[in-house]
Amino acid sequence: MPNVNINPDDVMIKLRGLKKIFGSQDVLLDVNLDIRRGETMVIIGQSGSGKSVILKHMIGLLQPDEGEVAVDGITISTPKYFDARTIRRKMGMLFQMGALFDSMDTGENIAFALREHHPELTEAQVQKVVTDKLKLINLVPEFRVKMPSELSGGMRKRVALARAIALSPEILLYDEPTTGLDPITSDVINDLILDMQSKLGVTSVVVTHDMVSAFKVADRIAMLYKGRIIEVGTVEEIKNTANPFVRQFITGQRKITSEEE
Amino acid sequence: MSWWRYPIEGIGKILISGISNIGEIVCILIRTIKCIPYVHKNVGLIVKQMVSIGVSSIPLLFVTSIFTGMVATVQAEFQFRDLVADKFVGTAACKMILIELGPILTALVLAGRVGSALAAEIGSMREKEELDAYTVLGLDTYRYLALPRFVAFITMVPCLTVISNCLALIGGWIVCVLALDITSYTYYTGMQYLFQPMDLWAGVIKSFVFGVIIFVLGYYHGIKAGAGARGVGVATMNVVVSSCLMILIADFALAAVLFK
Ligand SMILES: Nc1ncnc2c1ncn2[C@@H]1O[C@H](COP(=O)(O)OP(=O)(O)O)[C@@H](O)[C@H]1O
Ligand SMILES: [Mg+2]
Repeated sequence: MPNVNINPDDVMIKLRGLKKIFGSQDVLLDVNLDIRRGETMVIIGQSGSGKSVILKHMIGLLQPDEGEVAVDGITISTPKYFDARTIRRKMGMLFQMGALFDSMDTGENIAFALREHHPELTEAQVQKVVTDKLKLINLVPEFRVKMPSELSGGMRKRVALARAIALSPEILLYDEPTTGLDPITSDVINDLILDMQSKLGVTSVVVTHDMVSAFKVADRIAMLYKGRIIEVGTVEEIKNTANPFVRQFITGQRKITSEEE
Repeated sequence: MSWWRYPIEGIGKILISGISNIGEIVCILIRTIKCIPYVHKNVGLIVKQMVSIGVSSIPLLFVTSIFTGMVATVQAEFQFRDLVADKFVGTAACKMILIELGPILTALVLAGRVGSALAAEIGSMREKEELDAYTVLGLDTYRYLALPRFVAFITMVPCLTVISNCLALIGGWIVCVLALDITSYTYYTGMQYLFQPMDLWAGVIKSFVFGVIIFVLGYYHGIKAGAGARGVGVATMNVVVSSCLMILIADFALAAVLFK
């Protein structure tokens, strides 16, 4: 459901020949993927296939053994030539378990980075941003005094999303945003992902193995299998794919049936 | 065939990993020290850490210090009974406590109590991707996490050492009066006899170094912790073992430097 104009030639995140090996474990072998400005790209793949590892490369938390990562035209895979800060200002990330700062309340979680990066803001301005961001994720301002330990899984992810957008990023990375949530709560998160795209115009990368969520939020879907992207396409293309591994994954079958080969 | 290669290779591997560990540990220390210009901006975080170190360790330190002071004094009296005058009991207890027992005891107690807690805290933050979350938000973990803890450790360990010294001396005084038939006056004048300010300062300087050791090993094992609850458990154990060892070795080295 592309609801924004996406130019196929305007690449926001470019992965070329990405290779990453941990010890003796080959996680990524040769990952090539273009993510267009303004689109929501969903990367699907089995647990442990390296989806989180791909995301961490996009935001410079990991460096590839080989290959190139470029964000908005700037190569970030060679640490020498880039200032991690400038590129990270453009990006926000929602971690799998939320990764909220446990010692701070909700409001402080959202405001912390803002205060540090913008010391010129007054306390009233900071609180206004917190209120605005809470509103964007459909929470009332009174929510700011809650501690992370008091929040349910879905709430933690929503607060983590508010924290990720506090610095107004252009790119949002979501690591399994719906994993571990019930279907209704998952759908709340799906709607928020769509909201972020339409209200903030962000480019989004969502990593998931939840196909309901993938089909709902994606403009395009890419499948990671054995260290490679084996298929990229729109929701319709993926639903009607001829690739047996993709079919197996999206239909949730344990074995590849013979007629699909 | 060449069986002799295995022990040599083994020793080589241990040496290399040891050296690379030392390298990483020194790196942590340097990156933390580089953040010191931001100390004034993190006063709140630092005070919070200082309070938590104090609150968590004072009860334990209270008991261990008093009892160690008592034992040291009883032994000083017993070993030298009929050999030297009673007043030297206070002298011996004071020297022993200020120079060695107080600083070492405090450092070992804190390594077990707050060093392991530091590794567990940082380890679980790593596990929950909180450390990555700081980085992604453009916040330097050394500035917001390491620096406040570092400052708290290097100030609180000497402070707690001085407190422990006082408690141990009080313990010694209690046994003198209650069990050893030595008057408060004799104990007190004995303490002052031969006392040099250097005795106290040596202990404080040593405990400053112990504070650095406990911090850096706690932080290192925290960020190196393996996955899951087991990884954090192993990390806390490693902190206690390695910092106790390093404290004793550093104590010896510092004794050689400070009491030339
Ligand atoms: N920092 C790391 N060090 C070593 N191995 C790692 C690291 N990060 C991920 N891995 C390994 O890479 C594989 C892929 O992990 P991940 O990207 O988390 O999978 P998922 O697709 O479920 O997100 C896993 O087997 C994991 O053990
Ligand atoms: Mg993952």
